[in-house]
Amino acid sequence: MTQTVAAPAPEVAPSTPAAGPQDHRRERRRHRLKLLALHASTLLLLLSAWWFVTAMEWVSPLYLPPPGDVWDAFVRANTDHPVAAGSDRIVRGEQGYYLWEHLIASLQRIAIGVGAAIVVGIPLGLVMGTTWLGVVLEPYLNFLRSLPPLAYIGLLIVWFGIGDTSKVWLLFLAAFPPIAMATISGVHGVRQDQVNAVRSLGASRRQVLTAVVLPASTPDILTGIRVATGFAWTTVVAAEIANGIPGIGGLAYLAGNQLQTALVIACIVVIGIAAILLDLGLKSLEKVLVPWRGKA
Amino acid sequence: MKTRATAAALAAAALALSLSGCVESGRSSTASAPADSDCPWEPDESVTTTARIAWQAIPNGDVVVKDLGILEACMPNATIKWVQAPSGGEVVKYYGTDEVDLGLMGSSPATIASSKPIVDDADIAVVWIHDVIGDAESLIVKDPSITDISGLKGKTVAVPFSSTAHYSLLQALTDAGLEAGKDVEVINLDPDKMPAAWQGAQIDAAWVWDPTQSQLLETGGERILSSADTAEAGRPTFDVGTASRAFITENPEFLTQWAKAQDWAVKLIQDDPATAAESVAVVLGIDPADAEKQFAGLTYLTASEQASADYLGGQFAKDLFNTAGFLLEQGGIEAVGTEADYAEHVDAGPAESVAGD
Repeated sequence: MTQTVAAPAPEVAPSTPAAGPQDHRRERRRHRLKLLALHASTLLLLLSAWWFVTAMEWVSPLYLPPPGDVWDAFVRANTDHPVAAGSDRIVRGEQGYYLWEHLIASLQRIAIGVGAAIVVGIPLGLVMGTTWLGVVLEPYLNFLRSLPPLAYIGLLIVWFGIGDTSKVWLLFLAAFPPIAMATISGVHGVRQDQVNAVRSLGASRRQVLTAVVLPASTPDILTGIRVATGFAWTTVVAAEIANGIPGIGGLAYLAGNQLQTALVIACIVVIGIAAILLDLGLKSLEKVLVPWRGKA
Repeated sequence: MKTRATAAALAAAALALSLSGCVESGRSSTASAPADSDCPWEPDESVTTTARIAWQAIPNGDVVVKDLGILEACMPNATIKWVQAPSGGEVVKYYGTDEVDLGLMGSSPATIASSKPIVDDADIAVVWIHDVIGDAESLIVKDPSITDISGLKGKTVAVPFSSTAHYSLLQALTDAGLEAGKDVEVINLDPDKMPAAWQGAQIDAAWVWDPTQSQLLETGGERILSSADTAEAGRPTFDVGTASRAFITENPEFLTQWAKAQDWAVKLIQDDPATAAESVAVVLGIDPADAEKQFAGLTYLTASEQASADYLGGQFAKDLFNTAGFLLEQGGIEAVGTEADYAEHVDAGPAESVAGD
């Protein structure tokens, strides 16, 4: 299987006969710069619209604090600072942890939850996609998939306590159905003639699975993992409502209860950026693991 | 093949790194506590109990004790674990699953925990009154032409259900001859969602606590009733300290030290509110000035006051019983026990043990 993977992609023909590879590279760089400029100006426009709306005092700062306040809340949450101006009592970040520590705590939970979901989801998806078990188990998978996490976090606390275990379970339960579903659909998408080809060469059932079915469904599985990670992020606040400090979801919840909108928005922005970066990481993993995607 | 192996190794390394744990979950925030957090009295080194304490973000002595590390300083050989709970109802649940030994909750959840069916799972006793709720929880109306509760007929009132505020609101409505659900629409809403509903004119009034209460008052709301009024009408609400009864029996020394710490914090709030407010501000993540303002809405009782017949020494069991009768009508519990049943879930012992000091 690796032969096909490792085969170098054919050199893309230059767009015009006159243009050499150098021009081509310059063209690409220019394109990338253009894209970057587009992103930067969109962001700038958005920020200035935000600033303008708050500067004109069209909305109360309780609903939308100015960008400066959010930045201040972000800085406060990442530094040791006095509890109030003039006080000699120094506080560490928010709730005794820096904001990045809250983020790392949540990332750990997500990593364990999604990691377990990968370990369980992929084999289960393979089994469900290739055997009669799929017909039996699919309704349960759909049932689990449609449950809102807030509805069963209470149950998980009763079963697994208020420590990290119940939180990780919640993230696992949110992340594993998309991975299993994606694996199933990947398995179903394997071309039958490829399977028949290796079979006719005398491959065993296991060999068919590891040499054809698994690699062929990897693109779908990776998409499933990306979707699952997204789900895990949306679930993390629900998971951390009870005893969720440190945890960025727990911090956002507590700040919301105290009507500290600036800190809530700072948390949301950090969650959003972390999620985007994580997704970019997974996307580049996709490029390495399945370079043939979109080229076949 | 090589690139794939590298990628897999990288992914595994990244996973391992993130799992290796740079942040401990249970780290105490003592790093931020003032340097002089010594025990205000002779520490008891004989206590080796492991105690799991559920706390809530309410401005009273409990968070002062937590912030200053009094329990840790006075019982150096005990293991104290602080568990943050979002509501009293959650604390009851933690008791039911044996996740905590002590916990703070409102008097409504405490009643629920002492009544059928929860009492079968959570065997707790009220050992401390952290505060008597006064103006800290009040009924704020939007329309300035409404000056008393009877003016709320046909209006919508928001309150967090199963809370002490819910109890106070329904009591006040009943006393005014209004029926919730018929004359007045009572809806369940978390405090942090109230300002938006208020601005959108989806609610006409709310019975709520700080910081939402101050927020509504600032945006033109008027206070027409507070929990101080319902208390005067014979329906007081409290934030209470509870402990599992088995824990109380096994760890009397721990509870004595615990009550001593709570009593010390109550006196600190009364004598030096600025210092106490700083601790509250640290734990709640608010401004010390706001914290000090919030003290005014609550009444704090010293151990000797608590042990008296007006509170844990007698009347409190009746208050639980009265609350239970009301909660039964609301469907919060299945049956009301006898007054003697509720007396079993009140233990003035720890308060008495430090009342003389």
